Amino acid sequence: MNEHDNGRNTRGAGIHRRTLLKTTAAGIAALAMPAVLTRPVRAAADVPDMSSVKDAKIDWKQAKGSSITIGVTPAGYFDNLGALLPQFQELTGINVRLEKTPPGEIRQKAVLDLSSKTGTWASHAADPMYYPLYARNNWIDPLDTYLGDSKLTDPEWFAFDDIVKSWTGATSVDGKPYGIPYDGETTLQIYRTDVYEKLGLKPADTLEEYVSNAAKVNDPSNRLWGCALRGFKGAGQNMYIYPSLFEEFGGKWFNAENQIIVNGKEALDALEWYIDLLTKYAPKGVENWNWPDIADAFSQGTVGSYIDANTSAAVVANPEKSKVVGKIGFARWPKGPSGRRVASIWNWSFPINGALSKEDKAATWLFIQWAASKEVQAATSYDFPGAYKRLGVNRTSVLNSDAFKKLANGIGDTFIDATTASLEKDTHVDWRPRVPQWAAIGEIMATAIQASLVGQAKPKEALDKAQEKIAGIMKG
Amino acid sequence: MTAINPHKAARLRRNVLLYVAAALLLLIWVVPILWAVIVSLKSESEVLAYPPQLIFQPTMANYRDAVSGGFSILPSFFTSFILSTATTILTVLLAVPAAYAFARLSLPGKRALGFYTLVTQMIPPVGLVIPYFLILNKIGWLDTYQGLVTVFLTFSLPFAIWLMVSYMEDIPKEMEEAAFLDKASRLQTLWHVILPQVRGGIAVTVIFVFLNAWNEFLFSVQLSGNHVRPVTVAMYNFVSVEQTLWAKLAAAALIAMLPMIVIGIAAQKQIVKGLTVGAVKGGGRR
Repeated sequence: MNEHDNGRNTRGAGIHRRTLLKTTAAGIAALAMPAVLTRPVRAAADVPDMSSVKDAKIDWKQAKGSSITIGVTPAGYFDNLGALLPQFQELTGINVRLEKTPPGEIRQKAVLDLSSKTGTWASHAADPMYYPLYARNNWIDPLDTYLGDSKLTDPEWFAFDDIVKSWTGATSVDGKPYGIPYDGETTLQIYRTDVYEKLGLKPADTLEEYVSNAAKVNDPSNRLWGCALRGFKGAGQNMYIYPSLFEEFGGKWFNAENQIIVNGKEALDALEWYIDLLTKYAPKGVENWNWPDIADAFSQGTVGSYIDANTSAAVVANPEKSKVVGKIGFARWPKGPSGRRVASIWNWSFPINGALSKEDKAATWLFIQWAASKEVQAATSYDFPGAYKRLGVNRTSVLNSDAFKKLANGIGDTFIDATTASLEKDTHVDWRPRVPQWAAIGEIMATAIQASLVGQAKPKEALDKAQEKIAGIMKG
Repeated sequence: MTAINPHKAARLRRNVLLYVAAALLLLIWVVPILWAVIVSLKSESEVLAYPPQLIFQPTMANYRDAVSGGFSILPSFFTSFILSTATTILTVLLAVPAAYAFARLSLPGKRALGFYTLVTQMIPPVGLVIPYFLILNKIGWLDTYQGLVTVFLTFSLPFAIWLMVSYMEDIPKEMEEAAFLDKASRLQTLWHVILPQVRGGIAVTVIFVFLNAWNEFLFSVQLSGNHVRPVTVAMYNFVSVEQTLWAKLAAAALIAMLPMIVIGIAAQKQIVKGLTVGAVKGGGRR
């Protein structure tokens, strides 16, 4: 009897199973081994110099011994912040834990935590559209008192006014700041310079030109599509793009009686433009694409242009994944028929949970102040020793620094100019109506837009239905 | 040349058809797993390449990233193991006697109680997240093992009871009556007569309860935190707001599947026995 026969005969007796179980256990142990052996240890030389943080005229140790948890999403820009936490803990004696929660769930969990006053998250990466809801319910503290408290803040060192105005505006309610932006974005036109040069095209100045460029680039037989925009359904997905189009077509969210109107002529024109562009010149399945899908397609060279967050440049210019490095151009959002450009802006910011004790509030403010400081912004961006250098820095001084320009110009030499112009000239904080009911309104509109895009509903009917539902929500 | 027996030819055709059908069914299950294995061995840029590359230099880097460094799912893997094991043990300990009572004892309000356990299965889980959050917060059980296990029990227990009832009802009453005649108590009868008969059913229940607890995401993401983080939540670290790291996600998913495969193989015999018990006795379950 040879070994093979032996193996066959014993299979039924269960030895085969046992062998497999043992092998699997050994496999798990082998996998566990590298976890112990290869756990990265940050060398002292890798740590960016942030000694100037100590120059702030505040007592960093005033909340020593506190322990706080900050809710964040899994993202490179928060990982970079997490890597610097040991320095914050050494500086302040405050123990900070970042709790990663998937992007789809972080908003729900934050609302649950804040509304039930559990104080689980001292602060969290908050969506600016949620501030009106948080503030109206007094779930979070207004930050003007913290900014004005000399025991807690050194105004000269912190330089609140240096933080990008449109982002602090978006996290303010009735003129009071409620959250401090940590990472932000504005929306740009991102295109393939090699393709545009070959076809003799310039980045579009108007939406009309954007369609015409997309038509010229579109060549599906060679796996190159003209454009892509977010098609995925959601308040921050297709409703990240559509509101800008709506305003560029001349739409206004509120009428003279202060009622929200989403089914006027401008709304319909914007929706029809969006549907026409995507059905003709975008890859199939774009109705389910969110921005990571668009960035992946662009980085694989299958999309000629897209309009989305400027920070996606960090992904499409990543040499480990992208085939279009060195061939990326940036331009401002094209003008609409109204003659206006309306860029979508957004940021992750940190509020202070109103349910915390006084000591924990102080600890949380020290953390927020540190995270939003010039030093940490630089240390998590161009000074970060790891491969991922974040681009969504929150401060004008950092955006305009030579070091940041050097980093950004490596991605595309028009990045800084387009970003700066977009933030300063092309947007306003209410490009989406900042009302407490926004989450529900956004979802209703998102459903109407996607239903129209996939042909399940006629655009006019979809918008009328959305109007009816939104009117009900605003009344209720 | 000898003529082929028409009966043999028909049998051969039937067998070939059966094997083809079985192979097709197997493909439906195997292809996604195989695809995940291939993806897990590629670099992130190779995953996105079009047309998909079938010839590439395999790398174990994704598995290393999934178990070590800042993205390690290993601590969460063990957390899930504790949660699922505790849920399974408690569920079986409670469901077996409960199922026996439902199957054999004449209790007042038995029907209503049975229906009530089913009703809990009909509530959409998302509607329970807020009450669970508030209750666990009130008693200080948010982000704890006991909190999550208790929540998992609320859906595993009714399911397990109803699964076990069907197995209990298949056992002929005469077997118990014989035990009673021999002066065995009800507990002794349950232990010595009933349990050996429903071993297969218990194996099936264990698998399903463990599987459900292992795969649970909705409650875990809202009710857990930094202290008790199940593997389903930790795996989401590869799906960030900026990008999805498909290769690392595939590696993490395959590692997360391991316990289920191991348990499935270990309990294979019992499951087959459990699933076919009705057929062997010639009567379907009531």
